[in-house]
Amino acid sequence: MTQTSDAIEARTASQTTIVLDGTEVPFCDGETLYEISRRHRKEVPTLCYDDRLDAFGACRLCVVEVDGFRNPVASCTTKATPGMVVRSTSETLERHRKTLMELVVSENTGGSARNGNIDVDPLRGLKSQELSNLATRYEVDGTRFAGATSGKSRQDDGNPFILRDYDKCISCYRCVRVCAEREGDYAISVMNRGFHTQITTEFDSKLEDSACTFCGQCVQTCPTGALADRKALRDAETPGELKKTRTVCPYCGVGCSVDMLSKGDKIVGIHPAMDGPANQGALCIKGQYAFDFIQHPDRLQTPMIRASNGQLVPATWDEALDRAAAGFLAANRDHGRHSIYAIASGRAPHESAYSVQKFIRAGFASNHVDNCSRA
Amino acid sequence: MRTPNEPAPLLPLLHAYHDRDGMLTDDALREISATLKIPLADLYGTVTFYHFFAREPGGRDAPRVCDGPICKLKGCDGMLDALAAEGAKPMPCAGRCDEPIPVLRGGEVLTGLSVDDLRVRPTPLPPAYPGDDEECVFAHIREPGRATLDGYRANGGYTALESALRDASPGAVIETIEASGLAGRGGAGFPTGRKWRAVADAAGSPKTIVCNADEGEPGCFKDRAIMDYDPHAIIEGMVLAGFATGAERGFIYLRYEYPKTLEILERAIAEAESAGMLGDDIAGTDTEFRLYVRRGAGAYICGEETSLLNSLEGKHPFPRNRPPFPVTHGFEDLPTAVNNVETLASVAPILRNGAEWYRGLGRGEHAGTKLISLSGDIQRPGNYEVPIGLPLRTLLDDWAGGPQPGRSIQAVTMAGLSGGFLGGEDLDATLDEPSLRGKGSFLGAGGIMVFDDTRDMLEVAHGAMRFFAHESCGKCFPCRIGTQRLTERLARDAGPAALDAWREEVADIGATMKATSACGLGMAAPLITESLLRYFPDAVRAHFGD
Amino acid sequence: MSNPLSDMEKPDVIFAIGTNMTECHPVAATRLKRALRNGAKMIVADPRRIPLAEMADLYLPLRVGSDVALLLGMAHVIAREGLIDQEFLETRTTGSEQFLAHVAEFTPEWAESICGVPAADIEQAAKWYGAAERGAIYYTLGITEHICGVDNVQSLCNLVLMTGNIGRPGTGINPMRGQNNIQGAGDCGAIPANFPGFQPVTDPANQAKFEKLYGKKVDLERGITKVRALERAAEKTMKAMLIVGENTAVSDPDRKHCEHALTSLDHLVVIDIFPNETTALADVVLPATAWGETDGVYTNTERRVQRVRQAVPPQGEARPEWWIIAQIAKRCGIPGFEYESAKDVFNELCSVSPIYRGLDWDRIDKGEYHWPVPEAGHPGTPVLHETEFKNGRGVFTVVGYRDPAEVVDDDYPVWLTTGRRLQNYHTRTMTGRASGIDYLQPEEFLEVHPDNVTAWGLEDGGMCRMSSSRGSIEIRVRATDKSPRGTVFCSFGFGDVRVNDLTGSGYDPVTETAELKVCPVRLERV
Repeated sequence: MTQTSDAIEARTASQTTIVLDGTEVPFCDGETLYEISRRHRKEVPTLCYDDRLDAFGACRLCVVEVDGFRNPVASCTTKATPGMVVRSTSETLERHRKTLMELVVSENTGGSARNGNIDVDPLRGLKSQELSNLATRYEVDGTRFAGATSGKSRQDDGNPFILRDYDKCISCYRCVRVCAEREGDYAISVMNRGFHTQITTEFDSKLEDSACTFCGQCVQTCPTGALADRKALRDAETPGELKKTRTVCPYCGVGCSVDMLSKGDKIVGIHPAMDGPANQGALCIKGQYAFDFIQHPDRLQTPMIRASNGQLVPATWDEALDRAAAGFLAANRDHGRHSIYAIASGRAPHESAYSVQKFIRAGFASNHVDNCSRA
Repeated sequence: MRTPNEPAPLLPLLHAYHDRDGMLTDDALREISATLKIPLADLYGTVTFYHFFAREPGGRDAPRVCDGPICKLKGCDGMLDALAAEGAKPMPCAGRCDEPIPVLRGGEVLTGLSVDDLRVRPTPLPPAYPGDDEECVFAHIREPGRATLDGYRANGGYTALESALRDASPGAVIETIEASGLAGRGGAGFPTGRKWRAVADAAGSPKTIVCNADEGEPGCFKDRAIMDYDPHAIIEGMVLAGFATGAERGFIYLRYEYPKTLEILERAIAEAESAGMLGDDIAGTDTEFRLYVRRGAGAYICGEETSLLNSLEGKHPFPRNRPPFPVTHGFEDLPTAVNNVETLASVAPILRNGAEWYRGLGRGEHAGTKLISLSGDIQRPGNYEVPIGLPLRTLLDDWAGGPQPGRSIQAVTMAGLSGGFLGGEDLDATLDEPSLRGKGSFLGAGGIMVFDDTRDMLEVAHGAMRFFAHESCGKCFPCRIGTQRLTERLARDAGPAALDAWREEVADIGATMKATSACGLGMAAPLITESLLRYFPDAVRAHFGD
Repeated sequence: MSNPLSDMEKPDVIFAIGTNMTECHPVAATRLKRALRNGAKMIVADPRRIPLAEMADLYLPLRVGSDVALLLGMAHVIAREGLIDQEFLETRTTGSEQFLAHVAEFTPEWAESICGVPAADIEQAAKWYGAAERGAIYYTLGITEHICGVDNVQSLCNLVLMTGNIGRPGTGINPMRGQNNIQGAGDCGAIPANFPGFQPVTDPANQAKFEKLYGKKVDLERGITKVRALERAAEKTMKAMLIVGENTAVSDPDRKHCEHALTSLDHLVVIDIFPNETTALADVVLPATAWGETDGVYTNTERRVQRVRQAVPPQGEARPEWWIIAQIAKRCGIPGFEYESAKDVFNELCSVSPIYRGLDWDRIDKGEYHWPVPEAGHPGTPVLHETEFKNGRGVFTVVGYRDPAEVVDDDYPVWLTTGRRLQNYHTRTMTGRASGIDYLQPEEFLEVHPDNVTAWGLEDGGMCRMSSSRGSIEIRVRATDKSPRGTVFCSFGFGDVRVNDLTGSGYDPVTETAELKVCPVRLERV
């Protein structure tokens, strides 16, 4: 207890403040102006920011005014120092932000966006609405600063998972950074420079010929939908509200949290859960893309029992359950409790394994139960 | 192939393969990736950033023709056409504005105004000193043999180092440099003594001295003159910087466009090593300093010190976010002083002659001298060492002979291109930062290009903006998109048809670039359009047919 | 795992052995990669030059099945170099005298003669791990799927006990569980020796507790393992079997033996989501709900208890397993299966399991608890063995090297080792039915060192016949220097490449885990 209260005291003692939009607010050592602003619900816009990545300072939308600095500073890369006087918004800042938005939308759409309506299907990816939302917020109609567009879509990359629609790319480098900093694969990089900047791979190859592992992390951080979930987009026209259900990946033992996306009765995709305790937003190819086995036509749809001709034939639940029970009762009666065995699944939830072992232990006074961990 | 055992191995390895194969093949990149453990995608991306590295067969030896602002005036387009059959490609200003047009072919630079005229010519020496004051950096540069160790020693070379190592403390060296008022001559103007003190005080080792010899600013060619004719002055300055800060290694980051200079520097370093002025027992005092030359590969942004450090480290040469600054987190995240060639060449003379002497070289309250690379429509182009505070008109008219007969000066650029244009009455400025900042410009690296009354300033501005767009690294949005949009608007490829709307777009883009860009490139580029509109509104109007 | 996944970013020395983590636990591997970015050193021991080996500071390419020799050599060096944590040894362990006397004779040179790793590298690995501030060991089935799997694990434990690399952040001994809820199956008591919560069935107190709960006598003896049960089925002394969600016929070694055992049963009930080789042998097949169709709980490899939730209605007439089993139980006249929901079942589990006692359905909503959680309000236990081991002191085990059950000879001169690949999972019942996966890996292939491809007259991309003493399969050859010379690799994922027709040379005597990682084979071009 003393240790804890000491720690709190020490923190309070070292706690210092800045003035943010006229209010004195405390901050912790190392906190950036952006982090403090967000903590205080200031709506500082960003496009290159992802809180899982090192601050990068590219989009410059998050600039704030700091007394004593000639120019606005990027709040994402500027650490607070005691006594700073900071304005997260002002007429000048909003004018610069609007100009920046007009510039970036002009690069992205070449002036083809209409009435601020940059249409991006949310199935493209978790963060795919960021640009269009900001365009709406800043009433950017897409007509100003018209000119050349940058980025060339890779129509030739036929991989079934990741659509590389670089016409929509704004070169925020979030895909490059997530691949390096979070996934550690270093499959994505950037080639050329200036307006000719292009997100690429080794030798500008297709993803399948690169170091890409198809974890989909680049898709899920892309703020424009330029990198998009090709599997989910198959259901772009499927009717129904997009629903998210928090669950845990069914593959390996890491236990990554995901949000299952469904429309009506159909599962259409997966989003990584950024607040997932085991994975903190990370996924692999299986968790991200190998979800559609669930609704595969091969699924067992009805109970089946072996008929007298030796064939498995469909049955009602009552018939099948009666038959199942009868067989165990017969074995117990004729050969004793140790003639029955059960193997629980390491894939099914607890309730399955628990029921299996209780069935054997409580039902037959036996410990003849195991699971598939030895396979 | 050079071994990767030396520090900063990527650029030497890339050049070695590039020279061997005439290009960078996929296999070469795979080998380098495996050797240096740089992810292949990153390496590929980084290679494409540098315009010199060729990825197609024979690409390395295709002629590169300078299409900088002065060469544009002197007919580089014709040169490019004439060499088209050899696969000639344009390169941005290659630093021969005093003797255009430079063409890089294979390992050497030729110059000439036409194909027939092309030959290897030595770097022009600075003209005889035309002033009444005293030079510092150029004081001995015109002496024959100055580039050799003996020639350098003949006039007190290395005595400042020897006496500092024997008799002075690092702190005393820093105090002298601080007292002299010497400030960064690459353009940023940060006080050199203060920078060294910060490195000396910073925790972490080994520390590093980097000589920024990536003289990429169009219209600047002063560093080349120093390196070609007085290389030991730089070496002495670097070792002194190392002594003052506690750094034991140094790099000279040299632009690729100066292949002859590379040879001169390497020869001078070898001489200095054998004379015990470099190595692990300098001047018999147990002081250690090792010096390496690293050749760039064509990226203006690598003149920005944090891009340069990334480039040295083999990373993608984007500028870094600051803070932290290189003085604490520089090369390999360790304390580093990055100094310009001219700054370092000033160090030994200051230590020999004293801080007061150097301060006294400036006019009025200004301390010291500045090298100016003067080129364009002027009778005697070349490098001049001016006392800081000299009137611009004195340099143009008295020192350099003024414009060609019958012409008048319409505009000059400042800081190469980065300071935009000066024109009209503002040509009465004096050559010091307070005067020039007052006119919305700055002295910077000291390149001044002169345009007489025959020149179309809109075309000049377009060429300048095209350069900035070409050299924008692509990281921050305002610069990457802004330079492109301004270039389009100056060419009138895109943008509003009406003048008022055009002005408004150009002004809005410029204001946001200046306020929000991440480094100096994006902040400087809009000075071009700003000064164009300020000094030449009629030319702009004429462009719209008004 | 003794330590949580988040700790994987904290070690200064990582020792990864027998784990192809980037392919089998890719998200856990991202944490190790971040540790490397932070400056950690990594030692990787694996017969194959797996992606992790490419990232390693020191790669130890050991011969399959020779882990004990390598680890004895390392223990020898740690002792010799004075890298033992004496305080830890004295306060937290027992049996060190015999152990240290034992390892004195196993020099790195001796280890090299068995495992093929240069003695100098063994020394380096031992010095790094031994001197680590925070040394962490990670392993998976490359350690356990051997006849000496227990010896391997105990050899690793010995290294941990020598160096005190346990009980602190960024340390520990960390097996990575291969299946989403294999940890949970054990937690729930689906193992022959333990009631739920790892309460030994042979402990009279536990017996009394469950007798009271069930209202009837319980078995006083441990049950038998699955391996033994299949043997008894083949001998016709095991008569009835319930199999849930496992394709036993394919995923277990020595497939012919498995099929024979299952067909010998009088009564086989299989609950699964897809028809497979095992459902084909069943008397009753019952369709279960799949992931996304049912509520429930999984426990991950770091003992984190997390909820899964229903997002869509079940396919056809599929029902949750707990419902199906409850219905069978009721029809068998077994009381205590009056559940209305998964929540009822889980809360009952919490009430009988000491490691879950502080949990219930609602409390695990956000998944922040690592068991044991002995009472409500307890914060959970991310790091095990902080101050003491479960049974007091950590016990050193004297372990000797043994050859694999079968070793290469003139008839079967090549080592085959098996595992998984990134894109596919297990027997591909799930990934094989997920669209797009085929695009990346349309078929299984055998990884052979390029020199061996030439020397053995095979063709890169051509087919070969691979035979062991138990069977023979055909498989496509792929030349790659991921495989060492003399050792080949394939996964067991594809039904048309029945690699478990070949495996099954032996079992660990304690756990009865099959030696799937070692199988001498012969290759011929076809």
